[in-house]
Amino acid sequence: MEIKKGIAVSPGISIAKSLIIDSEDYRIPRRSIEPAQRMAEIQRVRTAFQDAARQLGQLESAQERTDGGKIKDIFAVHLRFLRDKSLRSKIRGVITTDLVTAEYAVSTVLREIASHFTNAKDPYISERAADIYDIERRLLKQLLGRRREDVEHLSQEVTIVARELSPTQTAGFDKKYVKGIATDAGGRTSHTAIVARSLGIPAVMALEDLTEIVRGGDTIIVDGNRGIVIVNPDEETIRQCERYGRELTELEHKLDAIKEKPAETRDGVKITLLGNIEFPSEAEIVLQKGGEGIGLYRTEFLYLNRPTEPTEQEHYEAYAKTAQVLMQRPLVIRTVDLGADKYTQSKRFAPEPNPFLGLRSIRFSLQNLTMFKTQLRAILRASVLGRVKVMFPLITNLQEMMQAKMILRDVMDDLDEESIAYNRDIEVGIMIETPSAALMASALARGADFFSIGTNDLTQYTLAVDRGNELVSTLYSAADPAVLYLIKAVIQDAHKAQIDVAVCGEMASEPEHIMLLLGMGVRTLSLTSPMIPEIKQIIRSVTIEDCNNVARKVLGMSSERQVSNYLRDATRKILPEAF
Amino acid sequence: MRPAMQFVDIANQFDCDITVSNDENNVDGKSIMQISMLAAACGTRLKIKAQGRDAEKAVKVLKELVEEKHFDEPTPSEQKNARI
Amino acid sequence: MKFADFVCFEAIIPELKTTDRDGVIAELVWALDKAKRLKRGSRDEIVNAVIKRENEASTGMGKGVALPHVKHSAVKDVVAAVGKSSVGIDFSALDKQPVYSVILLVSPVDNPDRHLQAMESIFRQLQQEKFRKFLRQASTAAQIEDLLKEVDENPSLWI
Repeated sequence: MEIKKGIAVSPGISIAKSLIIDSEDYRIPRRSIEPAQRMAEIQRVRTAFQDAARQLGQLESAQERTDGGKIKDIFAVHLRFLRDKSLRSKIRGVITTDLVTAEYAVSTVLREIASHFTNAKDPYISERAADIYDIERRLLKQLLGRRREDVEHLSQEVTIVARELSPTQTAGFDKKYVKGIATDAGGRTSHTAIVARSLGIPAVMALEDLTEIVRGGDTIIVDGNRGIVIVNPDEETIRQCERYGRELTELEHKLDAIKEKPAETRDGVKITLLGNIEFPSEAEIVLQKGGEGIGLYRTEFLYLNRPTEPTEQEHYEAYAKTAQVLMQRPLVIRTVDLGADKYTQSKRFAPEPNPFLGLRSIRFSLQNLTMFKTQLRAILRASVLGRVKVMFPLITNLQEMMQAKMILRDVMDDLDEESIAYNRDIEVGIMIETPSAALMASALARGADFFSIGTNDLTQYTLAVDRGNELVSTLYSAADPAVLYLIKAVIQDAHKAQIDVAVCGEMASEPEHIMLLLGMGVRTLSLTSPMIPEIKQIIRSVTIEDCNNVARKVLGMSSERQVSNYLRDATRKILPEAF
Repeated sequence: MRPAMQFVDIANQFDCDITVSNDENNVDGKSIMQISMLAAACGTRLKIKAQGRDAEKAVKVLKELVEEKHFDEPTPSEQKNARI
Repeated sequence: MKFADFVCFEAIIPELKTTDRDGVIAELVWALDKAKRLKRGSRDEIVNAVIKRENEASTGMGKGVALPHVKHSAVKDVVAAVGKSSVGIDFSALDKQPVYSVILLVSPVDNPDRHLQAMESIFRQLQQEKFRKFLRQASTAAQIEDLLKEVDENPSLWI
């Protein structure tokens, strides 16, 4: 048994056999074979080595010595490994004694060799592990060939173990079989983490060298609440985890029961609960969880993990698909939030010294109008299919909002000329996620149909804290009085201007902040779908009067600690299971 | 890994069995896997043993490679020497 | 895109004669016409089209700047006139402040990218306090032309 501590990025607990996938999606499950099959598997290994060596030999001789022969030398080294008799006999040994498939034996032996290099102190030697992984991939490619299995065709429950996962890969996981995710890299705000949370798959990341420890088929516990992964747990640990898991499931079932009931306070005030999504396929999940629409569709995922920028048609298809699932329910499409940690194809290699204070989000769009226009055209075209609204991110001043609206207007004129249908009265909203926008909310309200408060960025920019930086992350809290002061001001300005105001940051999915938000006057929350039932439960357990009292008390407090403690106590009384 | 490759290439030209050892492990001098893993583990004293028809010559050439060339990038003339 | 690529330096009006929005639009379109940048006979049609577009949604960007514009077949490439007013013009801007600098664009119908490129250049500079200030302080057509050329030469000085 080995316990690894990482970062909890998606809640829940799971126990399942590991399925190791590398960046090329190979899965190497531990599969047992009959003793009679041994010779056949050994023959497969022999053929794989021969074919891989032949291929590599061709590659090597085709390689020009233009770079001083470096690549040629690398191939030459790999070739020596493929011709190494003792390597082959080691793999044969694993097949003979462990009774496993050729793939599994190859993967296990080569990973063991790789870890030997990884552990070396000399960085030159430790980097050689990459060569071994490369050889492993080459052999697996031969062995799996066309039969290469990907995680889309699973037939049993697994824990996905990987060095790193892309958001797109993760979004393709079938929740029925993928029970947990554990990766070497990543963090809470990584896109993969966001996707895992919205799929409701327990996940722990930043486990550093987990893939070195785990072999395919090992039993893995993923505890997405505490950020722990246990490899090959003992009986007692398994029992404990199963009990803990059952308790969580019971709570979830209890919450699922209220899915059909309205999100209404005890004194009859209706609250609108919407979902945050990254992919069209998630819209269905939001509805299943009792969401009444989409309050935040993060469209930058259309740009990630692909060699070229998406076309207007690709944008349109994604929006149309989502709108059709939602029918006449609201769908707020946020224009791309690129820059900072997310780049498009064309700008990926243009780093800035302070990306989060740089050319990102709406600024990036206003400096890349052709790209911006492509997206706006697609949103407008989809606007006839449902209650589509458009939202601009990271507005910091009036001019940005006006410029964005002006371009939207120009795009409408283009569509008119081309006789393409769209909703001319489409609602246009903005994200309030910078202190400047919060302070200028009354002026911005004159040009916006709605506000959505993005509490993650608002907190980061107000408190000047990067929450991904462990040296200062404890200072990051949406419950800081400074942040609450701004949120309160935005809500008041929106009410004065009689426009809708929603909260779409993580704060809206945190049970302890719900009474406060309602008390400050928020009536629309947009959050990650797995949290919708729990948040609804809280709403149904309180009265607006209770909430007003909580808000009044909190707004008189001057320290974050005071606020947090008070809110936790107040919420614990309502929903003790949540803590 | 290039030095390991050179070593193995030379070792494989001989018929005799070649064993390389540090204080703890003995490995097959003709296996790049074993030699590179041994090299990764330490940078200390290596012992080369050979048994068979051309054993004496093998030890001599390999010793020369390890000691005098320090596993450095070979110049063409050195490579020629090493192939004797 | 550089300002010199689309601003018509013969259509810079350092002190607009009219003080109402529609008058200013007409003045600037007339200036482009006089500089022979519009197809003959299209002048009045363009004035009406710009006013119509402005009635639908104000192009007053705030901070004393407005960007009235229209697409029209009377031009082959995007062209702009620049006008300034010391009294201030009501463009129904969102910040309710009068407009002191007006950049009027006429863009080709069949090449939408040119319009976007010109807008990108204007947006980039209008975010700069320094640019807005210098534009407002320039009092002759030559000074405005110099300012725009200086921005073209040395964009980094201005950003």
